[in-house]
Amino acid sequence: MIPPATNAVGGLPWFAPALMADLTDRLPSWATAPLVWAVVLGAVSLLLLLPRSGRNGRRLGIALGTAALVALIASGQASGTLTVRSTFWILASMTLGAATAAVSSRSAVYSAVWFALSLVGIAGLFMFQNAQFLGVATIVVYAGAIVVTFLFVVMLAQPQGHDTYDRLSWGPFAKPIIVLTVAVFLGGILAVCQELRDSPPPVAASRGQGPEDAAHMAALGNQLFGRHLVAVEVAGTLLLAALVGAVAMVIHGREQIAGEVEMRGGSPDASARRREGESP
Amino acid sequence: MTEATAQLYDFLVIGGILFALGLAGLLARRNMIVMFLCVEMMLQGVSLSLVAWGRYHGDWGGQMLVVFMIAVAACEAAIGLALILMLFHHSGTLDITFWQESREEGQPAYVDSQVPEERDEDRVWPRLTLAGLQPEVDEEAQQHRSRV
Repeated sequence: MIPPATNAVGGLPWFAPALMADLTDRLPSWATAPLVWAVVLGAVSLLLLLPRSGRNGRRLGIALGTAALVALIASGQASGTLTVRSTFWILASMTLGAATAAVSSRSAVYSAVWFALSLVGIAGLFMFQNAQFLGVATIVVYAGAIVVTFLFVVMLAQPQGHDTYDRLSWGPFAKPIIVLTVAVFLGGILAVCQELRDSPPPVAASRGQGPEDAAHMAALGNQLFGRHLVAVEVAGTLLLAALVGAVAMVIHGREQIAGEVEMRGGSPDASARRREGESP
Repeated sequence: MTEATAQLYDFLVIGGILFALGLAGLLARRNMIVMFLCVEMMLQGVSLSLVAWGRYHGDWGGQMLVVFMIAVAACEAAIGLALILMLFHHSGTLDITFWQESREEGQPAYVDSQVPEERDEDRVWPRLTLAGLQPEVDEEAQQHRSRV
């Protein structure tokens, strides 16, 4: 039995440390894990940030998201020098923060730009894992081509940048259900990841010829055009087919629309038809 | 947990969260372009974990898969955006609820209960700051230049 007088630390009542220790013992282990808190806080923050009728709670959502990020950083497992760890977490925070902003942004243009920032973070994470080629390819193909195509389609289809449906989701009940489902799904994934704790280290049979190789690009090219040559050819054919398909779809669709408009005797202007079809 | 496992674990967590964010966006958003963007985000989450597994096992399998994923994603973006453009030409809107016309028979239609007002700050666009000097305009040259 500890005498009460010796346990009064920092103005706390004497029973506080004992109570804390007791609480930590009694609570199940998952309740004190930072990752669980990260998922819970992140889900609440996403619920507040996703488009909804009011704008109240946006700041609270951002604050909770930051708290979730801090909890996530606290749950990090890998050790290493401070530089390495901080580089990793800065890149990861950038990726996740920009991804959240892309998902919750009210304007499709801003969504695309936030997604591009998130891709920059992902490219950094690729480089962090010795995947230099993939990092550069992500920037060039995704941020350089796909995001620009997104912006191009936004420009064609939604020149005002945002519309009523950007500020709406699927009614009041759908969003909590969606976020809860996704959080449970993520919890399942992370619970499976926990099993890694007990797993034996990997059999490092091929280390040296793997991604840690010094002559990275040459080794990657060897693999790509040696072992995976057929797959490269198939991917090239697929790209060609997609290109032809996209062009054919647009040309064919335009002819079809022109035919429909002639039958109706209306103007071929899409916005005119939209004004007719949309309820005020 | 060994160091290699710990690194793999961190990357799997980040990849999983990215995938979940994309999934939430896909289900909750209604703009077709943003939904498509969320699918790309899910792909990124998967490729992050694939690269992490490749590094963990010290072989090229993960990175090779991601190379082909990028190629397929490019195809998918081309076809998907062409489809979205086609749907837009048919309906005049990017709202996915327009296509509930094709729902099952007897199902009630989804109707928006309350449409939020557009606020003033939503209409503000970022402005480019002026850069450089404005060139001096020579009035005489402007007037006497032969306009061919």
